[in-house]
Amino acid sequence: MSLVDRVRALLGDDAVDVAATHDGVPRVAPASPDAVALLLGTAREEGWHVRIEGAGSWLPTDAPVDLALTTRRLDHVPAIEPQDLAATVEAGIGCDLLRQQLADRGTWLALDPPGLAGRSLGSVVATATAGPLRQGFGSVRDHLLGVTFVTGDGRLVQSGGRVMKNVAGYDLTKLAAGGFGAFGVIVLVHLRLRALPRADQTLVLEGSREELAQVSEDIAAAAVQPAAHELMSPALARRERWLLAVRFAGSAALVSAEETALRAATGGGGRFTPLRADEAHALWMRAAESFATRPVTFRIGGLPDSSDELLDLLQHQVGDEWISASPGVGAIRWGGETTVDRLRRLRRSLAGLEVPLTLERASWPVRAAVGHFGAYREGVGPLVAGLRRTFDPAEAFVVAVEGAE
Amino acid sequence: MTERGGFEGLDSCVHCGFCLQACPTFLATGDEADSPRGRIELMRALEAGELAPNDPGVALHLDRCLGCRGCEPVCPSGVSYGRGLEASRALLAERRGTPPLVRAALAALTGTGGDMRATRLVYALARALRATGVPGKLAGWGRLRFAFGMLAATAPKDGGRRWRSVEVGGGRPRANLHRLPPPSMTSPVLLFRGCVMQGLFPHVHAATVRTLEVNGYAVRDAPGQVCCGALHAHAGLRGEARRLARANVAAFGAGGDADDAPPLIVVNSAGCGAMLKEYGHLLHDESDGVGQRFAARVRDVTELLAERGPRPGAPIDATVAYDPPCHLLHAQRIAAPPEQVLRAIPVLRVISTPDAAQCCGSAGLFTLVEPEMSRAVLQPKLASLAQARPQMIVTGNPGCVMQIGAGLAAAGSPIAVRHPVELLDESYRAAGYYA
Amino acid sequence: MTRDGRSLIAALAGIVGARHVRTALPERITYARDGLPTHRRVPGVVVLPGSRDEVIAIVRLLAALGVPFVPRGAGTGLSGGALADADAVLVVLTRLNRILRIDPRNHLAVVEPGVVNVRLSAAAAPDGLLYSPDPSSQTACTIGGNVAENAGGPHCLKYGVTATHVLALEVVLADGQVVELGSLSGEPWGPDLVGLFVGSEGNFGIATRITVRLLPIPRAVRTLLADFAALRTAGEAVSAVIASGIVPAALEMMDQSCIRAVEDSVYAAGYPRDAAAVLLLELDGAQESAVAADAETIAGILHAHGARSVTVAADAKQRERLWQGRKKAFGAMGRLSRDLVVQDAVVPRSALPDVLETIARIAGAYGLTVSNVFHAGDGNLHPNISFDGRVPGLKARVDEASGEIMAACIAAGGTITGEHGVGLDKLRYMPLLFDGDALAAMRAVRRVFDPEERVNPGKVVPVHACREWVGSVNAERGTRNARADVRSDFRVPTSALET
Repeated sequence: MSLVDRVRALLGDDAVDVAATHDGVPRVAPASPDAVALLLGTAREEGWHVRIEGAGSWLPTDAPVDLALTTRRLDHVPAIEPQDLAATVEAGIGCDLLRQQLADRGTWLALDPPGLAGRSLGSVVATATAGPLRQGFGSVRDHLLGVTFVTGDGRLVQSGGRVMKNVAGYDLTKLAAGGFGAFGVIVLVHLRLRALPRADQTLVLEGSREELAQVSEDIAAAAVQPAAHELMSPALARRERWLLAVRFAGSAALVSAEETALRAATGGGGRFTPLRADEAHALWMRAAESFATRPVTFRIGGLPDSSDELLDLLQHQVGDEWISASPGVGAIRWGGETTVDRLRRLRRSLAGLEVPLTLERASWPVRAAVGHFGAYREGVGPLVAGLRRTFDPAEAFVVAVEGAE
Repeated sequence: MTERGGFEGLDSCVHCGFCLQACPTFLATGDEADSPRGRIELMRALEAGELAPNDPGVALHLDRCLGCRGCEPVCPSGVSYGRGLEASRALLAERRGTPPLVRAALAALTGTGGDMRATRLVYALARALRATGVPGKLAGWGRLRFAFGMLAATAPKDGGRRWRSVEVGGGRPRANLHRLPPPSMTSPVLLFRGCVMQGLFPHVHAATVRTLEVNGYAVRDAPGQVCCGALHAHAGLRGEARRLARANVAAFGAGGDADDAPPLIVVNSAGCGAMLKEYGHLLHDESDGVGQRFAARVRDVTELLAERGPRPGAPIDATVAYDPPCHLLHAQRIAAPPEQVLRAIPVLRVISTPDAAQCCGSAGLFTLVEPEMSRAVLQPKLASLAQARPQMIVTGNPGCVMQIGAGLAAAGSPIAVRHPVELLDESYRAAGYYA
Repeated sequence: MTRDGRSLIAALAGIVGARHVRTALPERITYARDGLPTHRRVPGVVVLPGSRDEVIAIVRLLAALGVPFVPRGAGTGLSGGALADADAVLVVLTRLNRILRIDPRNHLAVVEPGVVNVRLSAAAAPDGLLYSPDPSSQTACTIGGNVAENAGGPHCLKYGVTATHVLALEVVLADGQVVELGSLSGEPWGPDLVGLFVGSEGNFGIATRITVRLLPIPRAVRTLLADFAALRTAGEAVSAVIASGIVPAALEMMDQSCIRAVEDSVYAAGYPRDAAAVLLLELDGAQESAVAADAETIAGILHAHGARSVTVAADAKQRERLWQGRKKAFGAMGRLSRDLVVQDAVVPRSALPDVLETIARIAGAYGLTVSNVFHAGDGNLHPNISFDGRVPGLKARVDEASGEIMAACIAAGGTITGEHGVGLDKLRYMPLLFDGDALAAMRAVRRVFDPEERVNPGKVVPVHACREWVGSVNAERGTRNARADVRSDFRVPTSALET
């Protein structure tokens, strides 16, 4: 029996779509977590290699495999609990759809990941791609109460739960978040929500990178606590010069007090321009989507006081055309065109500064060569390898974790 | 004594550990066995008979307890640690006897054994040696040199040398002259003299009498009084302690026979005061609560002074660090009165180091019998004092004066340690109250 | 005692000095319990290393000899997690108490595991910073212990539990290998092994250096005390506050029994004794006007939901008093009875009113006194059962009632521990929450870090309930948590005199 027939027999005719993939790999869309488990159990028996896809809009769907597993039919929302500020969501749902459903119930997931609006929630979790809101609300893992994932040999593993705090057993959720699918397919996510902010105001300031770096320091030194505090390159912001965008979200009293504090901290007067809601939406949306259109995207985790130095290094080694940086937390996201050699050299330079580079998006040959994480520090490699063997004993998942270095 | 001899005070411990960081010996070693919670575990096992009192593993850690009771005021469930400790030490003493060094020290310092003449001779010799100025020069960290430092620290200080009295508002200090209150308006109090206070700190007694009189107390003597028994009780010699307590109850009069309430008993040594206030517990089984009634009459000198203000004296332009004795702050829970006394001295700046409330490591005979732990406990206090740089340290307990004084001398610091009433006395003298 | 045991003690003494090895029975007995005194295990040997290098040397020695060991901080844990059996070495980390670095510009600190929680905040205060996780035991517990348990505290409602604040770790694995996890920025540098390590209850090794995030001390703070005539009303008020969208820094509840225990203690805070429950709320932030406005809104919500009165702390001193009462409440329970079991469950916040009633009903049915003091804003319950362990059969009734309370919390969609950890105490509830696959996955992960299951053996995962996992050993069965077959001939002396 062919692979396609086998899967059809297992999951039904409509679960497999042969024509849709550009590389001729059959794409399987299981309709439930149990179906995912069934499929991967069979994959292990048959020795099939699998790549995980969400909406297919973030990571290129080009890993060489026997079948593509898409979570796009796992798009149910079993529970949104506004009074608990928690939700349980299947991982294949698009972020835009989820955002709408949450807003209808007066709630908000304070994450603004890069990529297209329809990107699947599962891909955001698996790649731990947080956006500018990480300044005020933390990284992806800070929004997760628990996940359920399916291992490479088809076991459903639940971790965490839907309550606010949970230390029952080891926190496997942390492994799933940012694991790039190396440990399993995330099928269900329990989210920590916030109330939809009553007020949401973005202010921007244009200038040279140096000027804006100074303003950023003033903001950090004063007790201003923005939800986002992002330095964007001209191309990304679609402006003449660099743009510093500061966003406040919360009660009306908070937002107006923060705005006053921002002005006081940055020399008063009208230096910052407030954006209308539609302008602000367009700015953040365009910046997020821009990264989905560049061939390569990576993030680096520096410290606030090294932000400037790191931007110089990027400019020097790979250019600084598409950059979005959170100087308050030291994180920088880069998009653009570059080579395997340059990426490797950059990663080495950064490692010398104790700064990790995580490759977020690139074509398979680049991912395979460079790896999402590259070489680990001493002693970490065997741990990661051991964890992969634990969750994917037959190496069913084709993920370029370390790269070929 | 209570049925379980004090062990019942440990029952409410639920092992939360909130006492750990309040324990100077735990901070020194990081060892649970040197913490209040760990020691409670040992004491409970002692009471239950699971551990023997002569087990060296028990004795080591109970001996190493300072008895500072710093753990008591931080305990949410109100464990009576001190009582449990004394009950345990009584068991230990019963089983292994009292170490010769402790016996000797008790005999020399408190006249236990009945020979007060020998004790008086010891103190006379000590005073003579102190007067030569030699001990101060020999002070250091070794066992003997530390003892010299302790002795040197007891010397009366020449107050005018370290700072000057300042005149406020241009007036001469004498302008503050106040008449003493008429005898009809004064309250009689009985002074508890103690042994070390009487032997080495007579100048503090004198200052106590003078400053109390300025504040309307008539200080009288209570003949026949003896040592308070604190050192004995700490060493597990409960019988001795009870004997001394009975003698003191008799000397100070049980009172209650006339209409007049018996006079209050004033004490200027925190360690003695804490013990006197424990007479109710110590003499629990004596007839009609004599211990209880005695204890209710005991006041620290700063309590009495604070009750009357005290009257302000002349300014002293100096910065002093107040270091509350454990037996005042933790055992008697007296925090504000000493500071009120110091505030009666205009201009004086009183500072407090972050770990002021922590034991100095003196703890009665502890400094002699557990020198290593005692010095380890003293070190952090010396370090924070070195950082705060006061001109003088003020503390209301003879052991603390000697311990901190010896530590400072060993560290080469010129800072002196004094009793708060000494400062008030000096301020009153400058104000002309004694003219 | 065996020759092996003696040579082990000698070897440990060679590393740390004889005075930092504790072998006498009385000394070991003082380490037999943690903050949950219903469990008691006397460790074989206690060793107190004074430096990171000594920890590494000890772990390597124990690896070479195949001896199990248990790391321990201040022993304030509430799940029996830091107890060691007679064939294991207890590695006490209290002496590793140095704050290695405070970086005010980048808001981070590097500490040794034995640093007491509250001391880090004190050290950071001159720079206007604090370490946010504030478990109630913060005056005693160590940051290493906080990392092991993923400790919470009142203020994690707004600022997150320990895991949110740990950026990087230096870890000594079971085999003595030293690995560096995470980075100063918090970007994981590979899979998030820091996140995995935090809360692993000592099963993955010993953290010898911990890098944490510091936060600015909030410039504006309002602390509110609201009192209620019924527990249920207070529970409903919690839901109303959460639903308002304002995130308080902390939102705590205490019931009458707890209020009275605190008011009888040295930490009396002025809570109304006649209240059925009080809520203690804190609002904070950088902007005075916004915090003031939020406080007013919240006070209005509390009044609207049945608060008899809402008072605001007038100054920092009163605020401190209100908080001290709350934080020492657990210890004050000693006033109610000589023995205490503290539970730790989390339920969805909207389920609080019902669950509180269920707990009261269960306690009533068993004739037990339950006091509630807990992190209401997180739905993190701490029912405390007071009892006298000397009464025959009572402890068994307490255990049964605890089991029913846990089952009720799980049925409400909750979990069996929000911040105290599983340790020994909650092993029996793990199969109620996780199926055999999830438990087996946890065990398999543990074996990646510690293949011989030698570090803190017998805790967290009930081995008998694990399904078979590829690459893992056969499922073991037994009432006591089964342990991996560690060969260790080492026996310990019963008295120091033997050595």
